[in-house]
Amino acid sequence: MQAGRGFRVSPLRLLLTGWPWIVLGLLLVAVRLSKGAGFSDAYALLSRPFWPGSAQSDWLRSAQRLDQQSRLRQLEADNVRLRQLLALQQRGGDLLPAPVIARPAMGWWQQLVLGKGAWQGVHSGDVVLAPGGLLGRIASATPSTSVVQLLTDSGSRVGVWVPRTGEHGLLVGLGTERPALRFLDRDIRVRPGDLVTTSPASTLLPPNLTVGVVQRLDEQVMPAPEALVQLSAPVAAVDWVQVRSRPPGSQP
Amino acid sequence: MTDLELWRRAWCLATGLLVPLLALVSPGWLQLSATGPAWAVLWLLPWALIDGPWSGALVGAALALLLDALHPGAVSQLPALALLGWWWGRLGRRSVVMERSLSLGLLALVGALVLGGSVLLQLWFRGEWPLSGLQVLWAQTLLTALLAPLVCSLWLLIWRQQLPGVR
Repeated sequence: MQAGRGFRVSPLRLLLTGWPWIVLGLLLVAVRLSKGAGFSDAYALLSRPFWPGSAQSDWLRSAQRLDQQSRLRQLEADNVRLRQLLALQQRGGDLLPAPVIARPAMGWWQQLVLGKGAWQGVHSGDVVLAPGGLLGRIASATPSTSVVQLLTDSGSRVGVWVPRTGEHGLLVGLGTERPALRFLDRDIRVRPGDLVTTSPASTLLPPNLTVGVVQRLDEQVMPAPEALVQLSAPVAAVDWVQVRSRPPGSQP
Repeated sequence: MTDLELWRRAWCLATGLLVPLLALVSPGWLQLSATGPAWAVLWLLPWALIDGPWSGALVGAALALLLDALHPGAVSQLPALALLGWWWGRLGRRSVVMERSLSLGLLALVGALVLGGSVLLQLWFRGEWPLSGLQVLWAQTLLTALLAPLVCSLWLLIWRQQLPGVR
């Protein structure tokens, strides 16, 4: 009992000499309770120079883009080959870039005037594409200009389909920004958000061109449901379009 | 009529070519809900008032042929414009009161209504009634009527200076 007396220290003395250890202990408990606040932050601060930079994500993204583009090209080539085997309609001739030289705001007609015409190989009935998808068809062509009838024009009628469900319909211009999609069947499974493209069996238009997205579906319309379609090509912002000339031998 | 007067008359008539050009240009700051004014009405009204019913009807028909060429579809503005030219020509022969600003505005308002109405009627017959039809008609009518006192009286002034012979 006597031997242990020399080691006995009063609690006050312990507190005075050992306070750094106590503070450290409390600190560790605080770190534990806060799930690593402070510690992780300090680590992040210190390791910031070694983080993966934006360059790395750019590399990854460009590699992904390259991969997607090459796959798209291969699939398109494959598609053309298969279509040839099936003797279906070809994707059409060359793409001819043409400037938009006027948007006559006649109000009644939704149309564009292009700066290329019959001399450059644009003919009535050719398909007009813009970044984003199908824009309309050439209504008439003069030697150096041509008039595009937009899909929104009240006289425009184009056969399209919804690839997800495989249902066909007629895209009817209403003179407003969004054309209506009139379905042929009474029972349809189309939902808002579905993609609308040109039909793969179409004879007037090249197949599988993006047209737009179903925005609203009205199932009360008789005899068959009707949907409003938001077009994917921004007509108001388009300065240059691409005219896809008809392949030789497929007259309307 | 001398050669000089004939030349001047031809030049005044040639200003009608501005109408299809303006319809193509359609400046954005002159639009109301994406609809421009009826330029044909703004040009035909003063011409018919100065030159009488037959000239008004013929020039109106010629103008309509030019304008019809600019849009797809078989809808024609010819009947409405020829009729308006003939009517305004008769009014112009009758009195000069018609050339006051307010009268010009009212005549242009009726003209734009008739022109737009004829187009809408044809679209309706063809089963292509545009959903925004009435809105377009109303916007174009308002815009045309507001511009008419400015534009038409300017044309009247210019043509009077160029053609001293007309009333």
